[in-house]
Amino acid sequence: MPDLGSLLGGLVAFIGEQVGASSLRLGPIATVTLLTVMLVILSLVARPSTRWTVRDLGRLASVGRAMALAAESGGVAAFSLGTAGVARATSSLDRLQTLAGIGVLSVVARAAARSGVPLRVTSNDAVAAGMARAVLDDAHRRTETLERRSRSSAEYLGEGRATAAATALARGGSPAASFAAGGLAEEGLLLLYGASRGAASSSFGTAAPSQASSVLLTGEGTMIGPELFQATSDIRGRADRTGVLAANRLLLVALAVIALGSLLAWVAGVDVTTVLAGA
Amino acid sequence: MRRSLPATIVVLIGLLLLVNFVVINPLVAGVAQGVLELVVVLAAGAAVLGGATLLVHHGGQLARTGGDRLGSGVLLAGMAAMLLAGFYPGSAGSADPAVRWLVAALLAPLIAALFAMLFVFLLAAMQRGMALRSRQMVVMLLAAAAAVILLLPLGGTLGAWLAGTSAWALAVPVGAVFRGLLIGVAIVAATYAARVLLAVGSADD
Repeated sequence: MPDLGSLLGGLVAFIGEQVGASSLRLGPIATVTLLTVMLVILSLVARPSTRWTVRDLGRLASVGRAMALAAESGGVAAFSLGTAGVARATSSLDRLQTLAGIGVLSVVARAAARSGVPLRVTSNDAVAAGMARAVLDDAHRRTETLERRSRSSAEYLGEGRATAAATALARGGSPAASFAAGGLAEEGLLLLYGASRGAASSSFGTAAPSQASSVLLTGEGTMIGPELFQATSDIRGRADRTGVLAANRLLLVALAVIALGSLLAWVAGVDVTTVLAGA
Repeated sequence: MRRSLPATIVVLIGLLLLVNFVVINPLVAGVAQGVLELVVVLAAGAAVLGGATLLVHHGGQLARTGGDRLGSGVLLAGMAAMLLAGFYPGSAGSADPAVRWLVAALLAPLIAALFAMLFVFLLAAMQRGMALRSRQMVVMLLAAAAAVILLLPLGGTLGAWLAGTSAWALAVPVGAVFRGLLIGVAIVAATYAARVLLAVGSADD
């Protein structure tokens, strides 16, 4: 039976053999240059704090203030998770928007719990409503305000997009602060209009491009398109933020390439597609 | 990095589904299929649970004084009618004529009436939007005004020019904005989906 020294020796010998059997495809200077360029690009793309300024998407930075005002006026806060849900028969992208909405909800729920403002969460999906209940429990547990938990609720409204919109329009009383984050469709304007009616402050977001106008028309704070996912990452962990910020920069680079290529093709007649894609 | 049990389960299932997406293997495919079937069972259970919570919530509302008792009563009556139509002895379930009649004669017109109000609420929302005075709102309203002018039902040379410009606007600037939004959403959603599947950087964890 070999001892530990023999095992380590064998391992080192194996690695040495593998290194010896390998060769650099591009030569030492070209390889080092390539790696350096990659490191520089990566540091430019993924370094979050020094070269990036995070915007206050959806005015989520002022959630605390909105809750303080709600607490002063004795009002409630309302949060709609959109109409896509998690277990409903919708596209994956719509479901992801609901998950992003859950992320926004966790921030709003903590601010509401700290300020003692009752939060009323509504959803037309039973699973999303269950997740919202868990988020509310967690918010009160983390802020050590469990005695206030019973004042907040996560309500399942029933199946259907129209149900959520009709409930938002028909519900009496005006929330002091109103939030909506998640997937929306043709009922979006009705739901958001009902949600924003009488609210002192509002913040709405959806990644559905067709509902961008509904969000703009009804909300003070807006998260449109990718911003819904970006906002969730801005307010959550650092790794998330880095990833999303890096994606932002890559998007800008892609847009610049498209613009430059179009300009070259238009002005100089250069076929950039052939050069870049070999088509 | 410390992870909770739910986060670990999410990571394991996420990795399983990703491996199944990349690698063709009967064993992995079978396990992934089983997991997806569990999701269907979960959704079915959640639907029943959702109905029960709806019943309890509005039943409680009806018993209490104050609140929207009329709304709760209407909702419970609607639920009862639909359940009776779908579950009476000899009923064909969701294909039963009584259920179909309830959907076609009551539910569909109600939904249609709701969406017919979109135009009215659009005008009201525009009025409110102008009160907000945001830059995005101003740009959007100007674009909307331009779209209305381009779509004016005029004839002659001016009408033809407006129609041509309208088609160009729809195909080029509007199309570009929509594509840009979709590309942005796709990239960020892919990143977000990967993070959810792998439970990366969850601050709530």
